[in-house]
Amino acid sequence: MDDENAARWAIRLESETLGERERAELADWLQADERRRGSLLRAEAVLAYLDRGRALAELNDSPQPYVSAGGYRPTFERRGFLVGGTFAALSASGLLGYLLTRPPTMQIETMIGEVRRVPLADGSVASLNTNSKVAVAMLERRRQVHLEDGEVWFQVAHDKTRPFVVETGDVRVQAIGTAFSVRRREDGADILVTEGVVEVWVVGRENERRRIEAGSKGFVADAKPAIEVVHASGDINRALAWRNGEIALNGESLEYAAAELNRYNLRKLAIEGHGLGREPLVGYFRTDQPENFGRAVANMVGARVEIEGDTIRLSR
Amino acid sequence: MRQGRREIVTWVGSNIVPHEADLRVRLRQMAVPEEEISDIVQDAYLKISNLDSVAHIRNGRAYFFATARSVLLDRIRRERIVRIDSMTEMEALSLADEDPGPERRVGARMELERVRRLIADLPDRCREIFELRRIQGVPQREIAERLGVPEHTVEAQAVRGLKLILKAMAGQGGGDGHTPKPRIDRDEDERERNGR
Repeated sequence: MDDENAARWAIRLESETLGERERAELADWLQADERRRGSLLRAEAVLAYLDRGRALAELNDSPQPYVSAGGYRPTFERRGFLVGGTFAALSASGLLGYLLTRPPTMQIETMIGEVRRVPLADGSVASLNTNSKVAVAMLERRRQVHLEDGEVWFQVAHDKTRPFVVETGDVRVQAIGTAFSVRRREDGADILVTEGVVEVWVVGRENERRRIEAGSKGFVADAKPAIEVVHASGDINRALAWRNGEIALNGESLEYAAAELNRYNLRKLAIEGHGLGREPLVGYFRTDQPENFGRAVANMVGARVEIEGDTIRLSR
Repeated sequence: MRQGRREIVTWVGSNIVPHEADLRVRLRQMAVPEEEISDIVQDAYLKISNLDSVAHIRNGRAYFFATARSVLLDRIRRERIVRIDSMTEMEALSLADEDPGPERRVGARMELERVRRLIADLPDRCREIFELRRIQGVPQREIAERLGVPEHTVEAQAVRGLKLILKAMAGQGGGDGHTPKPRIDRDEDERERNGR
């Protein structure tokens, strides 16, 4: 924040001593950085705020500020202030306040081909496969996830007091601290458990719960009463590799990402320049298109791309 | 309906500025770094300065918090690289106006106390000028006459005073009984990521 200049312009604007040349100067100063308008408004508004000292001083110095006794006439300002204060208090506790303070629902969505790993507020992590959609709500008594579409692998942070419940169609999957995936199907849901145990059931048949343990997978049909569970430890990791030929980066360094891509391609990425390799990256990239990866990354971190033979050189 | 700039500034002065300290406290509790906090606050003011009218805003405090929240989300999304260290969108979404409760709701007396303290903490010369101008409402030219100094000296002192107050307000709310919440433990997440 440029408080020095913001203060200067706020004081000058207020005293209305600005000449033609100074107005042009102010315009130039504002033009140079859009965000200065924020600093200037703050400085001007703080001046206006300090002016309340005057109105409030009168209020405070009066012997009976809130009571209009006989012969004592409250000033207009005082009354205005009190009414304003009451409104502020009312609206602070009103509907708008409620809407803003209720537990937020977080919507997470992935595009076709996208794989995204999203840390949740409770320390859990949701990994969304391609074309998936979930809504997460952290409630007081439970952590609730609605899987609308697609497939998500959850690594659930341990919290006995707040079960983690995934709902999709009529199927419910409950975990306390474990790792499992849920995939929405036309007629039910696939559940793969990689760690711990989950409990699954169908709405309306809460008494017929099944446990699925690590290394097993289950299919829960919306309509059929039976919950099929099979042991399939080998399949699970492969199923969860999300074999789309993509690398999903969540803060890993450019160096690491380039090394990973270089494992899949003959055209190699080379990183040059001070600190460039340490740039953290977030995003998803196809492992089979290193040129596109190079261009995208160059854009993100402000680097140049040069292609020489089989080398894709990133530098800055 | 377009409102005059003066009108908007006055509105911001009485409906937004009084809540800046609480917003900063909240951001600190969320472990947002101090320099980011100032940027977020500045951008929230910028968003408000882009408004043609503030007549539709019924609760300045809630609006300010919601604006800051959207600034925070923008920053996390736009950068893609999370410079606000491991702050997730979920955490950012938790930035909402938590009603401070009746005893902390900004009351008239408390407001006056704050304004007085801000002015009282100024160096003597600044304070004198600020008191004449802000509390007694004496115009700048008259202050210069009364003190027997050139008007630009009065202006320079006023600028200096305002700058100090802007700075003091940025640091406000640090030690007023709020204890910062511990950071959300991200160890498990870190381990998982490093293991890949």
